[in-house]
Amino acid sequence: MKTLVRFLFLALACSTGNLFADHIKGDDPVSRVEDVTVHLFANVTENLQHYTENPEALQTMVRTNLMPLLDIDYAARLILGSAGRGIEKEKIDEFADSMSTLLINRYSSSLLYFSSEVKLRVLPQRGELNEKMTRVRTRVQLPKGGEAPVDYVFHKTADGWKAFDVIVEGISYVTTYRNQIMPDVEAHGIDSVIERLKSGQLELAE
Amino acid sequence: MLKRSSLISVVLLSLLLAGCAGTQSRNTDPENDPWEGFNRKVYAFNDGLDKVVRPIAVGYDKIMPDPFQRGVGNFFRNLDTPVVFLSQVLQGKFEQSGTTIGRFLLNSTIGLFGFFDVATKAGIPYYNEDLGQTLAKWGYENSRYLVLPIFGPSTFRDGTGRLADSYIHPVGRAVHGNNEWGLWIIRGIDLRARYLNQDAELKQAYDPYVLMRDVWLQNRQYEIYDGDPPITDYDLYLDDYPEEEKPTPDQ
Repeated sequence: MKTLVRFLFLALACSTGNLFADHIKGDDPVSRVEDVTVHLFANVTENLQHYTENPEALQTMVRTNLMPLLDIDYAARLILGSAGRGIEKEKIDEFADSMSTLLINRYSSSLLYFSSEVKLRVLPQRGELNEKMTRVRTRVQLPKGGEAPVDYVFHKTADGWKAFDVIVEGISYVTTYRNQIMPDVEAHGIDSVIERLKSGQLELAE
Repeated sequence: MLKRSSLISVVLLSLLLAGCAGTQSRNTDPENDPWEGFNRKVYAFNDGLDKVVRPIAVGYDKIMPDPFQRGVGNFFRNLDTPVVFLSQVLQGKFEQSGTTIGRFLLNSTIGLFGFFDVATKAGIPYYNEDLGQTLAKWGYENSRYLVLPIFGPSTFRDGTGRLADSYIHPVGRAVHGNNEWGLWIIRGIDLRARYLNQDAELKQAYDPYVLMRDVWLQNRQYEIYDGDPPITDYDLYLDDYPEEEKPTPDQ
């Protein structure tokens, strides 16, 4: 699972090199992935010293850049499944929030670590855009050689295209966590799961 | 002969021991894992075995510099060639099977018995194929999850494929034919060392057994479909909600 989240981070984090800074901005999923990763990476490289000393500033910056790309609420709904039934909206929001915070903090620390080592290629869109579910395929080049396939699953919302799942070597983040978190919520309640997320115990991101 | 029977007795012994462990009876995935009760016992047995294997793998990982470890991995992957080649031919992937032969020739010579993967550097891709995937391509698509003693996650189909593979693979042949276990053991330790990073995550999971099953089955599907498996039907996840609560993507 660690690998899973690490790749997610890597993939989002490390995509300079083969992308053009003056890339024409579009609202399609492929451009969204390219834009966000380029921007994040450039920012970290420029302010590496500052962020190394102030990890919280980095987390804030990453959150600001990343959140518009992600549909955390939808991902949380998918992960909770029937276990979310009857749970009030505030609780589900709190769950989504603690999940995303954990993810972003982990992502931030791996950004510092990998920023100069790893490259990412975003493959061209294949087939028609499907508003319910469109996959953006990327390849992350690993420092020790080889490439890891990382796909992002987007859907179209009122606010444009947003990603709600990450698939690494065929392993879906949403599916895998759903199968861990659903029974946990059913057995111990959502509060206990939120508590674990907040304490960083649940390795959601790796 | 002594060798083969010793292999069989190891497997039998592990099954026997597995029979005594654990009492899990719930079923978390009746469709893919109808043998969950049995599988959990074998999983527990493997977990016990790992108490011995893991420290060896940790030592190996510490002693071996990364480039050497990569070389060992390359060496064993090069030995996969007969299995990969045969599987490609049986699946009608003739062009790819030619590539596999090319890789093998290059890596076995210039790559010094496979320790250096010069073929990949030269842009010749590696294809991951085996007989289990071949059976799936032939139409044996759904097979129940099966945890094998020692080898870990598999399915009935892939366990069968693995057994057949072992009569083609040089490392398996050394075991079956000459009772030569050296390479088999080194490969096992090397493989185990590659998963050391995942141990902590697995331990922390709410249900490590389910986590391993999920990860393995999804990744296997990915291999069978050569990296392009059918995408999950996320709607099914939402169908658990009563109609009015169902969150629809705005638009």
